[in-house]
Amino acid sequence: MKLTDKLIKAVDKKLERFDPLWQAENGVGGLRSRYYDKTGVAKYREWRGVKDTFYDYTQWLYNLMSMGQMVASAPVKCLRGFWEYRWMGSYLGTFMFIDRLFEGYRGYELRIAHMNMHAIVQSLTKKIALVLANDRRFGGGPLTDRMVPMDEVLPPLFMAGFKDLIPIPLQTLPEFIICDIDQHIEPYYIDVAESYGLPADVCSRCAAETGVTIDDAFPIIGKAFLSTNMPCNASESTSMFQRRRVNLPYQPVTMAMIHNEPGAHPYSTQELKNAIAFIEKEYGVKYDWNALFERAKQMNEQNTIELEKWDFFKTPYSALVGIAETLYRLYSWASVNGQEDYFTKNDRKVIAIMRKAYEEKYKPFSGKTRHRAFLWGPSAVYYTDFPTWIQNCWGINIVLNMDSTMGHNMISTTDPEQAIKDLALFSEKAVMRHHAVGGWDNVNAVWEWARNFNCDMVLCNDNVACKGMNGVHALLEEQARDLGFHFIFIEHDLEDSRTVSRQDMRKCVNNYMSVVLGEQPLDPTIVEFDDSAAY
Amino acid sequence: MKKALKFVLKLLGKLSLAGLIAFVVTFAIYMTNAENKIIYYVVRPLLNKHYDSQVRDRRI
Amino acid sequence: MKDLKHLIYFENLLQDAQNELVTKAVAEGKHALGYNCYYIPETLLNLPGCFSSRLRAPRCVSTDIASYYMTTRNCPYVRSILERAIEGGYNYLEALFGAESCAAMERMEEHFVLIHPVKNDKFFSTIIDPPMKGDENNLNYYKAQLKLKVVDKLRDELGVDVSEEAMLKAIEDHNEISRLITEMGDLRKLENPPITGYEFHVIQLVSQVCPHYLIKPYLEETLEELKTREPEPKFPFRARVALVGSEIDDPDFTKLIESCGAMVVADRYCFGSFPSREQIEILPGESAFDAICRHYLQWNQCARFMDGDKIDQRHNEVRKLVENFRADGVIYENMKFCEFWSYEKVLANHIFTNELHIPCCTIEKEYALGAAGQLRTRFQAFIESLEIKSIQGGK
Repeated sequence: MKLTDKLIKAVDKKLERFDPLWQAENGVGGLRSRYYDKTGVAKYREWRGVKDTFYDYTQWLYNLMSMGQMVASAPVKCLRGFWEYRWMGSYLGTFMFIDRLFEGYRGYELRIAHMNMHAIVQSLTKKIALVLANDRRFGGGPLTDRMVPMDEVLPPLFMAGFKDLIPIPLQTLPEFIICDIDQHIEPYYIDVAESYGLPADVCSRCAAETGVTIDDAFPIIGKAFLSTNMPCNASESTSMFQRRRVNLPYQPVTMAMIHNEPGAHPYSTQELKNAIAFIEKEYGVKYDWNALFERAKQMNEQNTIELEKWDFFKTPYSALVGIAETLYRLYSWASVNGQEDYFTKNDRKVIAIMRKAYEEKYKPFSGKTRHRAFLWGPSAVYYTDFPTWIQNCWGINIVLNMDSTMGHNMISTTDPEQAIKDLALFSEKAVMRHHAVGGWDNVNAVWEWARNFNCDMVLCNDNVACKGMNGVHALLEEQARDLGFHFIFIEHDLEDSRTVSRQDMRKCVNNYMSVVLGEQPLDPTIVEFDDSAAY
Repeated sequence: MKKALKFVLKLLGKLSLAGLIAFVVTFAIYMTNAENKIIYYVVRPLLNKHYDSQVRDRRI
Repeated sequence: MKDLKHLIYFENLLQDAQNELVTKAVAEGKHALGYNCYYIPETLLNLPGCFSSRLRAPRCVSTDIASYYMTTRNCPYVRSILERAIEGGYNYLEALFGAESCAAMERMEEHFVLIHPVKNDKFFSTIIDPPMKGDENNLNYYKAQLKLKVVDKLRDELGVDVSEEAMLKAIEDHNEISRLITEMGDLRKLENPPITGYEFHVIQLVSQVCPHYLIKPYLEETLEELKTREPEPKFPFRARVALVGSEIDDPDFTKLIESCGAMVVADRYCFGSFPSREQIEILPGESAFDAICRHYLQWNQCARFMDGDKIDQRHNEVRKLVENFRADGVIYENMKFCEFWSYEKVLANHIFTNELHIPCCTIEKEYALGAAGQLRTRFQAFIESLEIKSIQGGK
């Protein structure tokens, strides 16, 4: 052992009483001990041992630099953005968000988690700066007319054939991503929509989107707008409002809802072709298949690596776990979709670490995992760190979730006709709808996924306003019973933390684990706590 | 030669000192969670006050 | 007004899904084909040897078992239909043709296969993926879905004749029923109509839930009766309204509005005559099947349509109804937990009130007529506002 290692080990030993994991193990505290009540504000940052704390600190610096770069790239417009848009203020909660996502992470899993997170931060900050710098509300910019506002659930890869245009998922910045960061932001927009008569029982995500629309809180960019029917009924309806308020030439790209049938794909393929023709007409540009192929190669490589990651997920030795997997896959697939090289490079580095960790038979979370769970159904956006909590509290490792199984078919990089067909199939398997929509077989696939990934447990997100998933409630429970899986419905209201709070969600798990399975928590300080005032 | 070496050493010394101070300051901010406390208790309440007073062009 | 000769008979036919005419047709060897939504063309289910049965769950008081399957947080219409199926109320059906017109509907229709509630050995079910736009690609997809999941299934599973001649005959049947209903419905355009909204609602419903060939003689007779029926000496209502919304299959709901003082002069909802009773025309070079598909896509005004033309169409059609039937205002209904109509009523309320300056009232209701007191208060207030407006000369 090298001298520095010995020194670090000695310091770690000396300071171990500050490590919340050690505190929980020794009954003298835990992960919640360092928080001010309710707020989610920590008195001090988590002590993870010398190496991991220092690594966490460097990643904090990297993320800080990305944010600095964002502001520096368009200082006036970024500040105006903060002043104009309520949702921009919520981005200030990013550091707190990252801290709570990776609580209890150590070693390889911490490294990978931060690599993935930084990929998101650097991409998102650039995107925010780009959008604000070209927002017509602030006088526009050189790229305003080259931007294409699109519904965030429409995978933007097919737009790569317009090499001079920039697809911007319209709802991502003011609604989807920001709800991950701040649980209090979307209720404001939901209230705006409800003040116009929208009932409270519709999907809160779409209610929030509608509220953003009514509140005039979308950036103003582009020359034409692509909406979509995905993922479900309510999001179809929100388009009616966006059509009026965005007030640009508008084309809904309606992909087949019952998508696992042969007849569906020719229809969806034609929809994509029509969308391309619409953009060609509105922007006066020609589609370049070679440009598409270039980006498709990136997406294919990312998906190839993703499939290799799945092989590791099936073992107890995967260094990529929980929310580090979920959030990254969601962002890199749904938002980036092969369009940024950084993500391919990041994937190459991550898979290298995963291979190494596997060879070393490295078990994440110090091998404290008791159950392996597959997470099914659309997750609560306001409780992104739920997978982290469930691991730290009950030792339940979420090895994969429904949305991570999104389109992983390869796209042809030589034949335009085949490529567009591949893209149709790829796009039909988009976020929140691949398994949640289009028939019982898609939902019922969960057991096979769970079995393939060696899970003994299925956690089913129970969005109280999701009519489609509500419609198979009993069938899922009966299947779980028949097939012998531990099964927990976790009630939530997607983007409205007032209806079902984070603590209510935790309660669903606590009850099952303590009453049905009779297990003891790993960390008693996080079984029940109030984080209602936290971001 | 000796003068140049002295200058370089002095510069390196200054840079190291600056680096050390930067490290101490940023690490102190990091460990005490200072930036989040300021954002949570000072910046966001002020921003929220501003957002609440905005007159927005609300319509369908 | 003098009571309509067959009104009580019609009302009785609406008390059960399997009413006496349905039972008679089944006994005569006709194939009973169920459906829930306008996306499934009624015409295709009335090919020779078949009859359509639009599913209702009359007198449904509890949805306990269906709520176990679909939770209480789901559309009460679909839960009521599933409950009725589990109770054995649809055992006469040989098929259910479903449409993924909304997620709740699709899930409910799936239960017809997954938990086998219909105790009929011949029973089968399919679900189409219905279009969301009115363009050519969507029309082609609609045709392909209907062919694959309705027409071919009828031919292969039940041996139904699906030839061009058979399709033409089905169109003829559709047009004849539609002519009768439209003639009766048009009477509501009169200043003092010889028919109430409630009576028309009952008549329209029996035309959707009974075998056409058995109900037609009664409809013909009722039309003749209406032609000579003396209306009240003075128009007995204080206002005229168009009722717009989703699955309104309870005539008592119309009765409730009318008891508050407004005649329902136009019925633009899923079980209404707009759309459903328009004439199918066959364009030159078009097959009968193509004409049916085009007709149903063209007239469909479902709130799930996303393209600008179809969104505007559904508001324009209501505006036309208001003009043609001289309605003073519009009542927009949405079923509780209905995503599409929840949004549509917000948008429509804005368009009608602020852009078209047509008074509009929006309400949310259960499937079974609960909370009638609250609804009554809403309707009375709305009707009063219409009256005041009328007194003030439309200001």
